[in-house]
Amino acid sequence: MSEVRCLNCLKRFEVQSNAKEATCPNCKTKYRISWPTPTQAKIRGPA
Amino acid sequence: MVWNRKIAYINLSTRKIIRKPVPKTMRQLYLGGRGIDMYLLYNHVKPKIDPLSPENVLFIGAGLLGGIPCLGAGRCDVAAKSPVTGGVGDSNVGGFFGAELRFAGFDHLVVTGKSKKTVYIWVQDGEIEVRDAADLWGKDTVETQTAIRQNHGDEDIKSLVIGVAGENLVRFANVRTGMKNSGGRTGMGCVMGSKNLKAVAARGTMNLEFAKPEKLLDYCKEMNDMIISTRWARAQSRWGTMIIFSNTNTTGLIRTKNFQLNLLEDGQDLEPENIDRYSIGTAGCYGCVVHCRHRYVLKDGPYAPFFDEGPEYTSLGAFGTMVNVKKLETVLAANHLVNKYGLDTLETGGLIAWAMELYEKGIINDKMTGGLKLNWGNEEALFELIHQIAMREGFGNVLANGFRDAIAKIGKGSGYYAIQVKGMSNLHSDERPTPSFALGIATATRGSDHLRSRPAVDMYGLPEEFLQELYGGPVSSDYTSYDGKSRMIWWQERLYAVTDSIGICKFQTVFCAVHAPKWNEFSKLIQLATGMKFSKSQLMQIGERIYTLERMFNLREGFTRKDDKLPERYFKEPTPLGLPIAKGKKIDRKKFEIMLDEYYALHGWSKNGVPTKKALVKLGLDKEPTHMI
Amino acid sequence: MQKILFIDPEKCTGCRICETACSMHHEKVCNPARARIHIAKWETAGLYIPVVCLHCETPICETVCPVRAIKRNEKTGAVIIDYNLCVGCRLCVLYCPFAGAGIDPLTGKVLKCDLCDGDPVCVRFCEPKALQYVKATRANTMKMRKAAEKFSELMQKLLAP
Ligand code: SF4
Ligand code: SF4
Ligand SMILES: [Zn+2]
Repeated sequence: MSEVRCLNCLKRFEVQSNAKEATCPNCKTKYRISWPTPTQAKIRGPA
Repeated sequence: MVWNRKIAYINLSTRKIIRKPVPKTMRQLYLGGRGIDMYLLYNHVKPKIDPLSPENVLFIGAGLLGGIPCLGAGRCDVAAKSPVTGGVGDSNVGGFFGAELRFAGFDHLVVTGKSKKTVYIWVQDGEIEVRDAADLWGKDTVETQTAIRQNHGDEDIKSLVIGVAGENLVRFANVRTGMKNSGGRTGMGCVMGSKNLKAVAARGTMNLEFAKPEKLLDYCKEMNDMIISTRWARAQSRWGTMIIFSNTNTTGLIRTKNFQLNLLEDGQDLEPENIDRYSIGTAGCYGCVVHCRHRYVLKDGPYAPFFDEGPEYTSLGAFGTMVNVKKLETVLAANHLVNKYGLDTLETGGLIAWAMELYEKGIINDKMTGGLKLNWGNEEALFELIHQIAMREGFGNVLANGFRDAIAKIGKGSGYYAIQVKGMSNLHSDERPTPSFALGIATATRGSDHLRSRPAVDMYGLPEEFLQELYGGPVSSDYTSYDGKSRMIWWQERLYAVTDSIGICKFQTVFCAVHAPKWNEFSKLIQLATGMKFSKSQLMQIGERIYTLERMFNLREGFTRKDDKLPERYFKEPTPLGLPIAKGKKIDRKKFEIMLDEYYALHGWSKNGVPTKKALVKLGLDKEPTHMI
Repeated sequence: MQKILFIDPEKCTGCRICETACSMHHEKVCNPARARIHIAKWETAGLYIPVVCLHCETPICETVCPVRAIKRNEKTGAVIIDYNLCVGCRLCVLYCPFAGAGIDPLTGKVLKCDLCDGDPVCVRFCEPKALQYVKATRANTMKMRKAAEKFSELMQKLLAP
């Protein structure tokens, strides 16, 4: 698990470990995810 | 003591060299690096001189903390009157040169006059020599450094060099050291070229002594832990500055097709993760645990095989989105080309993107470009134009003079499409959704510039109580808002001025991460290293002094409030793409002007952006130039 | 179990923090030229190799030292110069095949790593972990893992359609 900050509504939300995609529960924007470290997620691009 | 390194005045016309200590009062007022360089600039460069004449002076300054093992403390500041803007020329470069200059016994070099023959300056253990550079002239930036090392038989020599672009007096030629580190902006390589100065090489084995060496060492470790514990630094240490692309291109904050779009569609190949295909590891500057760049090898493709470092986020824009190139390999190759030639990647990309838009609009045609088909994404044309700019051939020769001259030469309303401020290209970031960034580029003392003040943390939507505490006044947490953003810029300006003066890296202070070293940490580092005590407010005042002096230099050169502006398109064309937060945004002219008023007021400047007598007295600037050094 | 200084050049980013920290710890000044560790760089190929005393099992420096000034510290495993005995002939510098001993450019004294009494400052500062101070068995398994990783990459390539 790791958190990312939504680029649209700027709220943080949880991403499942190793997930390749995630959707912001607040504004429903969908992202592709990558992992600079095994415990830290980051947004890679729009899904 | 560490603050007792020397300043050397090197006259290339007469070959006279004078060495003097840097007085402690200078340290108390300006610290070192950029601060002292700016004092020297204001004092030694006579008003209204031609930046390419022998009257221009080149300043090279190491930071006050240069050499300590933390926060990338090996940086070096290079200054002169800028051939790009006609105002403050100043560029801060990482790598290893700044630290080596100190080990060789010097903190500041003041290079005046012009050499008849091509030369380089050799600095070693307290001695300085001006040496013949006939065998270096014509070499690229990497070959030059290798040749100097071979000539002296020492692999550990660090040099600050220019490439062929600097020799050819391309206005935005840069100075470079190592494979990738560049003093990129404001054309300092052009000034070196105008003096027939190919390189400054340093090698030293002299001690840097500290007030409290043991405590300082422990505190350096604490500083390194502090920065690398931020999410931002960890991500950056994995993929370099390219990671910014993920955020900006997803949101719609990145200039595409010059300024037509605000994100690159189908731009997946430029995502930072793809550098893993070519990377053999990361590399850091002196004293840095963030190591924000990759060492990469391109085995095939254009100009391959080659080894290089980077690419910076900037190059992803310059040779990617802005010119509508969607292939990482093309960006890597173009990055390699400008590095070898010694061209500022951003200015080069900005000008080429502009030319492509002019070509599309029919403002320039095949006749003017000499048959170059400047279509969006045409990589052949991109490479050829880079080459032409560096060699001053064909249409490249028009662009080699920078935006101001090129706009005058091309005419036909081409200026409207030029995304520049004070003659210098904007970054490939699109500031229309972010008023704080927009104010920053409009007011920056060295022309459109994201590194003078960019409050990148504005993008995080941090709680307003927190922002109030950090910035010392009310600031909106909404990055699309104008409220309090002048305060944000004012605060960051002072922080960055001090950062550049102590010689540490901006990525290791409040730039992209909030919980990064800032005033109090700087104060403690300075005290442990030098024994000099500065409170937070004293450091802030030094920042203000440096920034105000830069402003005074520009005013003396004829700049006014009218020059603190944005390209017209920022006000007229709304962003067409992006997430809802960034889409349909443009800068509101009225609100922008109010922000500018507030900004001047915070500094204690008049409505016209001129520092008041009171403000000058407060900073001790009312008698400048004082010619203390 | 004795610990050893384990060097992994592939992880080195070339920051030279180890050099600086070493000189500050030992000489109380910042001067990489006086550090016991040095990063040999081939900048144009992107190759950075930390060079430091390897504290050999059979130290050549110990063998060649005419006054027997070089001995092993059993607690830390460091091969150490006793400066009370050292006459400064620099034979150790001459004979060490790994450039583990050097000369101080200011004092002319021989410089050699002493593993900082069992808490090497370079290791403490090396963020990418190119330098580690680990139990010998751990060093072995790290090497083995790395070899296995390379092997598995190769297998994946071979097995790929
Ligand atoms: S973060 Fe990057 S630019 Fe800054 S010191 Fe480290 S490697 Fe250099
Ligand atoms: S501290 Fe580590 S990464 Fe930095 S130069 Fe030394 S060995 Fe390399
Ligand atoms: Zn959201």
